[in-house]
Amino acid sequence: MGQNKRKSKLVNKSVSLDSGNSFFGRLWKIIFRLFCWLYAVISLYPVIWLIFYSFKNNSEIFVTNPFGFPTTLRWENYAKAWSQYDVPTYFMNSLIVSGVTVALTIVLALLFSYATARMRWRGRNVAKIYLSLGMFIPVQAILIPVAKLINGIGFDSTRAGLITIYTAINLSFASLVYYGFLKELPVELEEAACIDGANIFTSFFRIIVPLVKPATATLIIYTFLNAWNEFNLANVLVVEEELKTLPLGLLFLQGIFTTDWGAMGATMVIASLPTIIIYIIFSKHVENAMTIGGAIKG
Amino acid sequence: MKKFYSNKPAIILFAVPALFVFTVFVFYPIVQVFNKSFYDWNGLGTGTFIGFENYTKLFKDTVFKISNKNALIFAGTITIFQMTLASTFALVLSNQRVKGREFLRIAYFIPVVLSVTVVCQLWLAIFNSDSGLLNTIFQRLGINYRQNWLSNRYYAIYAISFVNAWQWMGYQFALLMAGIKSIPNDYYEAAKIDGASTFLAHMKVTIPLLKETYKICLTISLTGGVKAFTEMFIMTKGGPGNSTYTLTYLMYKAAFREFRYGYGMASASILVIQCLIIILVINWLFRDREGRDAKWGRIKEKAN
Repeated sequence: MGQNKRKSKLVNKSVSLDSGNSFFGRLWKIIFRLFCWLYAVISLYPVIWLIFYSFKNNSEIFVTNPFGFPTTLRWENYAKAWSQYDVPTYFMNSLIVSGVTVALTIVLALLFSYATARMRWRGRNVAKIYLSLGMFIPVQAILIPVAKLINGIGFDSTRAGLITIYTAINLSFASLVYYGFLKELPVELEEAACIDGANIFTSFFRIIVPLVKPATATLIIYTFLNAWNEFNLANVLVVEEELKTLPLGLLFLQGIFTTDWGAMGATMVIASLPTIIIYIIFSKHVENAMTIGGAIKG
Repeated sequence: MKKFYSNKPAIILFAVPALFVFTVFVFYPIVQVFNKSFYDWNGLGTGTFIGFENYTKLFKDTVFKISNKNALIFAGTITIFQMTLASTFALVLSNQRVKGREFLRIAYFIPVVLSVTVVCQLWLAIFNSDSGLLNTIFQRLGINYRQNWLSNRYYAIYAISFVNAWQWMGYQFALLMAGIKSIPNDYYEAAKIDGASTFLAHMKVTIPLLKETYKICLTISLTGGVKAFTEMFIMTKGGPGNSTYTLTYLMYKAAFREFRYGYGMASASILVIQCLIIILVINWLFRDREGRDAKWGRIKEKAN
């Protein structure tokens, strides 16, 4: 009840806060709003410029039309990026690595947080704190030992190397989110299931897994974006051309395309499209997912 | 119910996989970092124990000094840039009657979902000295201000910091928007009754209530300075000279280019320690003073 009441009040925040109708009040309001739009241009135009030049040829980019909409849409840039270079391979690798990382992280984290939030055993609190230590360890710091380790266990020429380490670094955060979520859930449903004679596995899969869906959705988005855009670990772990993910593959485009900006732009647009599309469709969810990450990290 | 929840095989099956993966791939490596920082190690065998020698070498290394200076510049630039802009935009857009609010939100956040490689390549193209966007704009405007943005040893670090600040401003903006959304409207009604202007209401109500959010923002942008790597790696390779080195870049270079793993590990452990110090100091600065203030209040009351 209390929460509903609070929500309804939040909706009309604008009503109660309004700068006065004095001349200066209005002037400031206009200045601030103009500034917001000005920065929106700075924030967005580089991306739009990239999309524009991915459809142009060199003379258009450099001389005739550097800023505006392309005069003709040169789809051949995209065809070139896709067919002549390894973009499809990078794309598939990114998709496989991010997909499997998401699945593994979700499964391991949910199982673990269920064990620490619900089940009774000595050391469950220590285990929870131990795993959440991962939030304070910068990935950059463990690059060297992780590279050695992945080589040592023979994961260095496989996608499994990236997948395991991505899962490991995302586990702490995912477990914290699930833990918080499970703690908020009432236990009555599980009690009822227990009385009906269900064992813990049935109750976990039939009751908990469907109930935590909102947290799962958040974590899928967060982990996917993280894995799709990860650069530092991929940079030290992957050498083989056929195993490179997009962020890594893009690195070497510079050399290949120095004379052909259009195709380079097309490649970058292809690499960015999945995340931009996910964001535009699920913008609120993505922002929530990303900011939950920050809130816990601090 | 108790029996239901203390199913031993289930506990083991549920808890052990995550603990195992975390221990092997995160915890063991971080222990290795501190341990091997005391060794002279080229990556093969076990190396020889040399005590604090890696650290003393590191503290004398001029590149280490440059790295620390760059961390300060980087952290300072992105903190000032992101904090002021994100606060301004969040406060203005917290008013739901602003036109185009949804569009502006998306415009600010799009760079966040881009891959850092794309962002760096894009800004390399923008900064490009011959045909980059920035120089072309200056040229078309008739301003004679062509620059080789990334090859100036004094300014390259600022250009790089700007790229990071540009990409992640939207993130801090979204954090602050989420924080503002959770402030109950009653406070603003009270402020309005007291005759406060919008500006005053934000200074006295919104910003103090966003303390927790600001703590998070500050932690992210300040540790960002120490952890900065990708932008340097892609855009300048630490150059010109070694003017855009950071601690992470120094570590990377030592281990993966010069095979001085022990030295690299020493830089990595300094990296961890610097991040921890930043987190501790921020937590100390933002510590809850209410308990103490309340106590003072009671003491004052008694005195009166």
